Amino acid sequence: MEKVTALVYLTAGLFTLITGFIIYFVVLYRNRQLKNKQEQEKRESSFRQELLKTRIEMQDQTLNRVSREIHDNITQVLSFVKLNLAQANMPDEYQRAEKIAESRELVAQAISDLRDLSKSLSLEHITRQGLVKTIQAEAARLTKSGIIRAVVITEGEIIPLGEQRELVLFRIFQESVNNALKHAGASDFKIVLQYIPEMFILTLEDNGSGFSPADAGKGEGSGLKNIENRAALIGADAAINSAPGEGCRIKINLNPLKNDHYPDG
Amino acid sequence: MPPVVIFYLILLLLVSAVGMYRYHKITIPGKILAWSVIAVLLCNVLNKVWSAVYHTNAPILHVESIIEFVFYSLVFYCLFKNKIIKTIVVVCIIILTVFFCLNAMIWQPIKSVFPTNIYLPTLSLFTIFSLLLFRQMLLYPLKINIVKQSVFWFNAAMLFYATTMFFNLGMTNYYSQHKWDAYIYYFWYFILCTFHVMIGIALLMDNRETQAGT
Repeated sequence: MEKVTALVYLTAGLFTLITGFIIYFVVLYRNRQLKNKQEQEKRESSFRQELLKTRIEMQDQTLNRVSREIHDNITQVLSFVKLNLAQANMPDEYQRAEKIAESRELVAQAISDLRDLSKSLSLEHITRQGLVKTIQAEAARLTKSGIIRAVVITEGEIIPLGEQRELVLFRIFQESVNNALKHAGASDFKIVLQYIPEMFILTLEDNGSGFSPADAGKGEGSGLKNIENRAALIGADAAINSAPGEGCRIKINLNPLKNDHYPDG
Repeated sequence: MPPVVIFYLILLLLVSAVGMYRYHKITIPGKILAWSVIAVLLCNVLNKVWSAVYHTNAPILHVESIIEFVFYSLVFYCLFKNKIIKTIVVVCIIILTVFFCLNAMIWQPIKSVFPTNIYLPTLSLFTIFSLLLFRQMLLYPLKINIVKQSVFWFNAAMLFYATTMFFNLGMTNYYSQHKWDAYIYYFWYFILCTFHVMIGIALLMDNRETQAGT
């Protein structure tokens, strides 16, 4: 009888052990789920903050550019028109007609410039046009302005990467253009957008003064750190290669299908 | 036929019906699991017929052991994410299938001797696979409630089956010496019924769309 009791206890002990293990596992799993949820919320909150910062920076940069455009271009053109119109009361009919025609052309140019400016003022532009067209428009504007020669190359079938990702990628592009203009003194800027299956690669290359990797984290290098942080924010990898006198090459790798923990994923 | 056996066969039939009814809604491991229950049901029916005709069920138990091991290991293979563990599962399937065949030919002849040699490696492997799958679940938790996850029910069923059956087989000699054969018999069916109830829940909870969305 004692042996039967011992056996019953042994069997009961085994079942308690298995049940205990499973209950312990369930509790552990729920804690892990809760921790993951909190981490995701934290990541989303951090992303929202960073996105807001990105938007503000983009607006700031756009307003600076608009201010510069109005001052350097439109004001100049309109002043010229004003001067032409002041001379419109000259006695020679032919010269007067010529001045008026010239003024009309200048006003048309000012209208066209203002239209371009109004387009670039809107952040929704990137949402409507997509990353490629927005970068192409920006590159055309840069080349037209004569400050840098920007070339855009696209490879593969273009697919939308998601509004927030494209916004961040565009900001990375702006940041690298800024670096190329302000710090590197580059004359050429090459942008390559590669859409290959399950991978998007954005390469930004300039022929400026370059820098030593050791100096990348100091002072002006904070822009590069921003690029790395922003890339990480959308689940992309940023590789920055540069050497003194050899320009700078920034490569952003993003798997649009795999990074489902990130926004737009 | 004893009532417990009839109950077990009806239970297998019900679980098979659940598997077939939900066949198009379940995942690939769920489909393999559904087929494994049907295979176990057929083996059990054949077992009874064979016992009645030839007075031994050893050949059927040999075949059933291989089928069960291969099916459950394939389910584990599909559920594991780690490539090394997947490879280990495949290697185990190959090695143990060869071992089963050798055992049936040499050490425990298929016609007359029960395949007790194969329980130790299979139950040990099921326990290890189950613990590894629990570890994987903790590393990659899904957003859905754990009791609504088929993988949890399958894994809990495998851990329960492997450990209790291990205990039962380990105690078999002791029970026999004390003439507690009835205890072995009922405990055996209790384990099998509980295991298949949990497998039935796993098949009910399995959903291809839910798994894809998490």
